[in-house]
Amino acid sequence: MSKTELIKLKILLPRTHAVSGLIRGLGLALGQFAGLSTLGRSRSIMLSMLLVLIATPFPRLFAEVDFVRGVAPILQRRCLSCHNDKESKGDFSLQTAESAKEDGYVVAGDAMASHLLEVISGGAGKPRMPKNSDPLEEEQVELIRKWIDEGANWPADFKITESRVSDFNWWSYQAIRRPVVPKLQSDWVRTPIDAFVLRKLNEKDLVVAHQADRRTLIRRVTYDLIGLPPTPQQVQDFVHDSAPQAYERLVDRLLESKHYGERWARHWLDVVKYADTCGYDKDKLRPNAWPYRDYVIRSFNEDKSFSRFVQEQIAGDVLFPGNPDGVLALGFIAAGPWDFIGHVEVPESKLDGKVARNLDRDDMVSGALNTFCSITVQCARCHNHKFDPITQDQYYGLQSIFSAVDRAERPYDLDPDVEKRRDALEIVIAEQQKQLDAISSEIEKAGGERLLDLRKEIKGLEERVSFKKSPEFGYHSSTVKRNDLQKWVEIDLKDSVNAAQIILHACHDEFGGIGAGFGFPVRFQVAVDSGQGDMEIVHDRLQADVENPGLEPIVIDLSGRNIRRVRVTATKLAHRKNDYIFALGEVRVLDVEGKNHAKGKPVTSLDSIEAPERWARRNLTDGEWPHYQDLDAAKSLDVAKRKLAKLNREIETPQRMRDRASANKKLVAARSELAKLPTGKMVYAAATHFKSQGNFHATEGKLRPVHILHRGEISQQRAVASPGMLPLGQGLSWQIDAATTEGERRATLANWLTDERHPLVWRSIVNRMWQYHFGRGIVATPNDFGRMGAVPTHPDLLDWLAVEFRDGGDWLKPQSMKDLHRLMVISSVYRQSSAGPSSNGLVDESNQYLWRMARRRLAAEEIRDSILHVSGSMDQTMGGPGFYLFKLERTQHSPHYEYHKFDPHDPKSHRRSIYRFIVRSQPDPWMTTLDCADSSQSTPKRNETLTSLQALSLLNSRFNLVMAEKFAARVAQEHDSLQQQVHQAIQLLLQRDPKDSEVEAFSAYAQEHGMNNLCRFLFNLSEFIYID
Amino acid sequence: MKPMLDRRDFLRGTSSGFGSLALAMMLQEEGYADGTVKVLHHPPKAKRVVQLFMGGAASHIDLWDHKPMLEKHHGEKSDFGEHVEAFQNGLGPWMKSPFPFKPYGQSGKMLSDVVAPLGECVDDMTFIHNLVGKTGVHSQATYLQATGFQRPGFPGMGSWVSYALGSINENLPTFVVLPDHRGFASNGPKNWGSAFLPASSQGTAIFPQRSNPIEDLTPQADFATAEGDRAGLKLLSKFNGQFQRERPGDSRLEARVRSYELAAKMQLSAPEALDISGEPEHIMKMYGLDRAGAKYPDTINAAEEEEYFGRKCLIARRLLERGVRFVQIWSGNDNSFPRRNWDSHENIERDHGPLARGMAVGTAALLKDLKQSGMLDETIVLWTTEFGRMPSTQGSKGRDHNPYVFTNWLCGGGVRGGMTHGESDQWGYKPLDRANPTQVYDIHATILHLMGLDHKRLTVRHDGIDRRLTDVHGHVLREIIA
Repeated sequence: MSKTELIKLKILLPRTHAVSGLIRGLGLALGQFAGLSTLGRSRSIMLSMLLVLIATPFPRLFAEVDFVRGVAPILQRRCLSCHNDKESKGDFSLQTAESAKEDGYVVAGDAMASHLLEVISGGAGKPRMPKNSDPLEEEQVELIRKWIDEGANWPADFKITESRVSDFNWWSYQAIRRPVVPKLQSDWVRTPIDAFVLRKLNEKDLVVAHQADRRTLIRRVTYDLIGLPPTPQQVQDFVHDSAPQAYERLVDRLLESKHYGERWARHWLDVVKYADTCGYDKDKLRPNAWPYRDYVIRSFNEDKSFSRFVQEQIAGDVLFPGNPDGVLALGFIAAGPWDFIGHVEVPESKLDGKVARNLDRDDMVSGALNTFCSITVQCARCHNHKFDPITQDQYYGLQSIFSAVDRAERPYDLDPDVEKRRDALEIVIAEQQKQLDAISSEIEKAGGERLLDLRKEIKGLEERVSFKKSPEFGYHSSTVKRNDLQKWVEIDLKDSVNAAQIILHACHDEFGGIGAGFGFPVRFQVAVDSGQGDMEIVHDRLQADVENPGLEPIVIDLSGRNIRRVRVTATKLAHRKNDYIFALGEVRVLDVEGKNHAKGKPVTSLDSIEAPERWARRNLTDGEWPHYQDLDAAKSLDVAKRKLAKLNREIETPQRMRDRASANKKLVAARSELAKLPTGKMVYAAATHFKSQGNFHATEGKLRPVHILHRGEISQQRAVASPGMLPLGQGLSWQIDAATTEGERRATLANWLTDERHPLVWRSIVNRMWQYHFGRGIVATPNDFGRMGAVPTHPDLLDWLAVEFRDGGDWLKPQSMKDLHRLMVISSVYRQSSAGPSSNGLVDESNQYLWRMARRRLAAEEIRDSILHVSGSMDQTMGGPGFYLFKLERTQHSPHYEYHKFDPHDPKSHRRSIYRFIVRSQPDPWMTTLDCADSSQSTPKRNETLTSLQALSLLNSRFNLVMAEKFAARVAQEHDSLQQQVHQAIQLLLQRDPKDSEVEAFSAYAQEHGMNNLCRFLFNLSEFIYID
Repeated sequence: MKPMLDRRDFLRGTSSGFGSLALAMMLQEEGYADGTVKVLHHPPKAKRVVQLFMGGAASHIDLWDHKPMLEKHHGEKSDFGEHVEAFQNGLGPWMKSPFPFKPYGQSGKMLSDVVAPLGECVDDMTFIHNLVGKTGVHSQATYLQATGFQRPGFPGMGSWVSYALGSINENLPTFVVLPDHRGFASNGPKNWGSAFLPASSQGTAIFPQRSNPIEDLTPQADFATAEGDRAGLKLLSKFNGQFQRERPGDSRLEARVRSYELAAKMQLSAPEALDISGEPEHIMKMYGLDRAGAKYPDTINAAEEEEYFGRKCLIARRLLERGVRFVQIWSGNDNSFPRRNWDSHENIERDHGPLARGMAVGTAALLKDLKQSGMLDETIVLWTTEFGRMPSTQGSKGRDHNPYVFTNWLCGGGVRGGMTHGESDQWGYKPLDRANPTQVYDIHATILHLMGLDHKRLTVRHDGIDRRLTDVHGHVLREIIA
C-alpha cells in the first residue's frame, strides 16, 4: 500500500479507541478497500489490514454473502478474543470451519438450528453474546444468519486470526539513508537545512521572510538556548558587533553557558515525567530524585554523546560499572508516578498488588519506547496494536526486560572501590539466588506430580483456612532478659463454677516474624482454686519443654470440678526478640453446656504491658482469640504440610542439601556485607537491591514472571512472555534469550536503542530538537511516529539531520547535541522574522513549510526565571535538592503541600525553576495555569493556552507582587528619576529602548500609582511574554 | 492530520469562554453538525452537573442499600460462597448497619437514618446499586471514578464537559471544585486537572473559608489599589492592543487582550457569587448554616459536618445559578489521623454517622433549592465515591473496602426519579446479576448523553490515541432517563 493510500485510510479512520465510532466510519470505506485490496505487491498485508479495519460490511442482500470480507471480520472483531483455539471459552473456537461447526454452533444451511445465532440474537432479552459488551448490530446478525442459511460457506483452509498489523510499510520503519542536499543557487542558503526548506518553499511558491533584526535575534536565541533574557549590555554589544561572525559567536557563547543545560534539561524532564514526589494517593516525597535532574543538566552541558546518554539511562549500571553517572541516569526509569499503596500496603500476591506492578512496568516500557522511539507501544497492553505492527506478545516481551526492577533509592558512590565491591556483591547475590532457583527446579522435577499435587492441595487449603484475629490480641507480660523467671496471670470467676474444661488459646502477633503461638510459655502449669485458698495444679507442663501449640487450643479436662479462680503460671518464658515474655490470647472456662464463665471476668497478673487495644489484661477474657475459621481445613493443612516436608526430605539428595546450604551461606554473607557497605549518596532510580518497606521488597535481580495478559487483565494470565524488543530495522536482532539476567536484558535494550540501524531513535531525537527550536516538529507528533501520528513535512530533511547527527559530517561531530543546536539556530530558516510575506498565508497559513519564524509564548519557567532575573533577585546556584514553593505539613502520613501558606520573599526559592521541588499530585498552581508540563504524563510539547486565570495569576499572585516590589526597588537603586527608572525597566524586560510615548505613559502611571504597581503591570505586557 | 492541527491551533488561541466554539468547530469538521443541531450531538436535557464525591469510600449498605439479611444474620460467621480477596483481610462476621433504615416517599425507598434528610427527595432520585469498581486501592479507584482511568494523566469528567461545552458565563470559571476544607482526598488536584485538554478546562478550586477563596483573584499587597488596578488594566489594554495590531493575523495576541477583560469581570463576579450573607434565614437554616459563630468539639461531630458541607452546597447553588457548568464537591480528606473521611476500617458509626448527616443535610437542601427554582430539571446531581464497603466486619465495628459493588445515585437533569437501577445481592457484596453490572463508564456516558454529547464521539487525539472519557467502554443507561 502506498503512503498516500495509507493517509487516506487514516483520515477515514479518525479514532482508535473509539471502536464503535470506527465501525460506523468504515461502512463507507469498504468499497474503496475492495479496490485497494487488489494491489499486487502488498496483497497479503492488505488483507490483514482489512481484517483489522473492516467492522461493518455492507449487507449485500441481493448477492451471496462473502464470508471472507463480510462475516469473518465480524467474528474476528467481536468473538475471537474469547473463542479461539488457545482460549476457547465454552469449549468453542471460531478460528476454523471445523471448530466452528462442532457441537452445532454453526449448522450449515440452517440458521435456526445454529447455536451461534441463538446466542448473538437473543430473542426478547439482551443477547447472551458477546458477553459484557454491546450486542452485534442488527445488520450484522442478519448477515450471519443469511450466510448460515446459504450453506455457511467457509473457504477451505481459511483461518481467522486475531487482528494484527504486520505492515511495516510506513515511513518511520524504513531504514534511514542520507539524502542528497539540494543544490540551490541562493544566497539565502547558509546550511543544508536551508537548502531542504527552500526547495520545499520553491515547490509551493512560497517566499521567505526577511531576516529578523538583531534585537529580535538575540532575544530569540538567548531564550531558546538558555531560557533567560539577554542583559541590556549584551543586546548593545551584539547590535553593534560588526564582525561577520557576530551571530555565530553569540550562539557559541550561549552554548557554552552553564544555563544552557538548565534550559534543555527541562525539555527532557517534560518527556520523561520527572517529579520529586510519587503521585497517586499520599503523594509521598522523593527526597533523592534530584540527582537524576542534575545528571541531565550536566549531560547537556558536557555535550555528552547521545548514544551514551541513552545507554546510561536504560542500563548505565550494567554498561558503565563504577561510573556514578551509570547509576544516576537510571532515574530515567524511575522518573514517573508510583503507587505507594499498591506497592507498600498491598502485597504482590494480591490482585491489586499485581495490578500496581503491571502498571508500574507499563510506565517503564512506555517511558522508554515513547521517549527514544516515538512509538505508542502501550497501545498493545490489552490487544495487538490496532495501527502499528506491535503485537501484545512483543509488548509483554518489553515488560519482561523491566521485570526485576523497581523504583527505589539506591546508592551511588563516588568512591569507586565501594562501588566495585557493591557490584561484586550484587552479582554474588544474583548468582546464589540463581543457584537456589536451579536446585528448586531440580527438586520440582524430582518431586514430579506428587509434589505438584501437594502444593496445589496446600494452596487450596490455605485459602479455606482463612485466619481471623481481632485487634485485641490478649495479655502480654512485661519483657525480661532471662527465660527462667516466673510470670503468672489469674482470672477471678467471681462465683464458684462447675467447670468441665479450661481452654487456653495462644496469641498471634507478626512481631519478630513469630505469628501463631506468640508468647506461649515453653513450660507452664495451670492451677485452680475452689474459693477456699486450695490452689491445686490441674495441668502440669513444668518438666519438659512444650512444643508451641500455634493456634491449636489447649484443652484441660476438669470433669465438673467447682472452681472460683484459675491461674496460669509460666516457668520458662517464650523467646521474643532478644528478650522473653509470657503472652496468652484467651482463657475460657466452660461448663458442661459449653457456656464460658470466664468471659468478661477480672484478670490479675504479676505484671502486664497494658498497651490497649492490642495488649491488656482484660483481653484475656474478652471472648476473642485468633483462630482459623475452618478448623478441619487447618488440620488437613497441617497434615499436607508434613507430607510435603517428608517428600522434600525424600527427594533432597545430600549433594543438593550441601549445595543449598552453601548457596544460602554465601547469600547471607553477601547480603550482610552489602548492608554494611557505606551507603554514600542516594538517588531515586531503577533498583534491584534496596531496603524493604512494608510489602515492597527488592527482587535482588530475580526476574518476576511476566505473563501475556488477555485484555490486559491481571486475572487472565496467558503464556509467559519471551523477553525482546520490537522487530524493527534491517538486520537488527530484537529477541532476547530467556536465560539472560535482568541486567543483561536492559543492556540489550540499551544497545538496541543506540544501534545505527535503528529506524526510529535517530529520527526521534532530531525531531524533538527541531520542534523545540522551530515550534513544531518536522513530524508534528513527537511521541508518535506510528500510523496515528503525523507524517513528516520535510522527510528528506529529517533523514539528513538524523544521519548527520548519528554519524557526524561536515556540520556535526557525531551525536553532539550542541552541534545540532548550532546548525539549527544559525540557519537562515531560524533567523527569519516572525512576520512573513502575507501572501504566503493563503497557501500555508499554519506555516508548516517555514516561510517565517514561529512566534512563541514564554514557557512557565521562562516567565518565572525572567521575572527573578530582571528584578535582580535570582540566585544562580546550580544543582542540589529542590527548593519548596509551598509549606510542607504533615509529612508523616499524606504530606500536605500548602502553596497558599508560602512566602515568596523566601530567598531559597529565588533559584531557577528547574531546581524547584515538583509535586506530582498537587502541582504548583501558578506554573500549572501557565501550561507547565503535567508530570503524570509524558509531555513532548507544552500546551499553549490563554485564559483569564492566567491573567489573574500574572497580575495578582504573591510571587508577581513581591517581585514587582523588588523590580521597582532595583531600578530605583540605580536611577533617581522616574523616567530613567522606567527606561531601565523596559530595557531589562523587553531588551530595547522605550519609545518616548511609552516613557511618558508609564511614568505618568508610576507617578500616580507607584513604581511597584507599574512593575506589576509591566510583567503582563504581551511583548514580554511573547518571543518574535 | 490537518484538521487536528487546525483545531489545536484554534484552541491555543482561546480563552476560557470559547470552548463551545471548539466543539462546534470539531463537529463541523467531522461532518456531524447540520442545520438544526449546531453544537451538540443531540438535544440536551441538562446544562449543568454537580458531582458529590465521598473520599475514602462511603459504605453503600450503611446509607442507601438496605440489607435485611445482614440484620438477620448479624454477628454470624460470614460466608461469601467463594474466595474473597479483601484489601485488609476484613472478613469477620456479617455486620448489620449500626443505623436503622426506614421507607421514604411515594417510592418507599429505604434509607438509613443518617441520610434521612434526603428522604424528601427520593422520588426525584435514581439509585444504582450495582456499580462495580476495578480496584480496592484508594488512589486508583478515585482516579477511575473521577477521570475514567485508573492511572494519573487523564482529564476529569468536569474537564471533558468544560472542553466540550464551554462556559455559560464567561465571568466565572466553567468548572469549579470545592475540596474538603481539611485537605485533599487521594490524588489531590489531579482529580480535576485538564491533563492533555487545554488548561482552560481544568477545575478551579475554591476554598470558601480562606481569606482568598480563589487564589490570585485579587492582589494581596499594600500597594495595590482599586484605582491603580483600573488604570493599570487600561494601560495594558493600550500597549498589548498595540502589540497585537503590529502583528496582524495572530489570534493569540487578541485573545490575550480579551483574557484581561474577562479577568476583570471575574474579579467582580466571583466574590459576589461566594457571598452568602444576603441569603434569607430559611435558606441558611435549610443548609444547616444557622449556627453562626458556633464552637465545635475536637472530635468529629454532625453539627460541624453540616456546617461545612452545607456551605459548599449553598455556594454550589449560587455558582450554578450564575452559569458555572460543572461543580464538584468533596467530602473527606486524605487518610490521616484522626480519620476525617469515609474510610471507616475501624468504626462505621463513629465516622459515617457525622459525615453522612452533614452530607445529607447539605445535599437535601441543594436538591430542594434547585427544585423550587426549576433548575433541577437542567442540573444533574451525581453522588459517587471510590467503592463500597464489605458486609462483614473488620476488627469489631468497621468495614473493609468493597470494590465489588457500591452505590451511585443521580437526580435531576432528565434523570427519572423514584427508581432503582440494578441491585446488589442479598449481602451487598456483589451485584445481584453479576453478568450485568453498571460501571463508571456507563455513568459518565449517561451524563454526557444528558448534556447532548455522545461519549463515543467526544474524543481528543493524544500521543496516537483518540482519548475518550469512557475509554473503550460505556453504555448510556437509557432506563434511568426520563
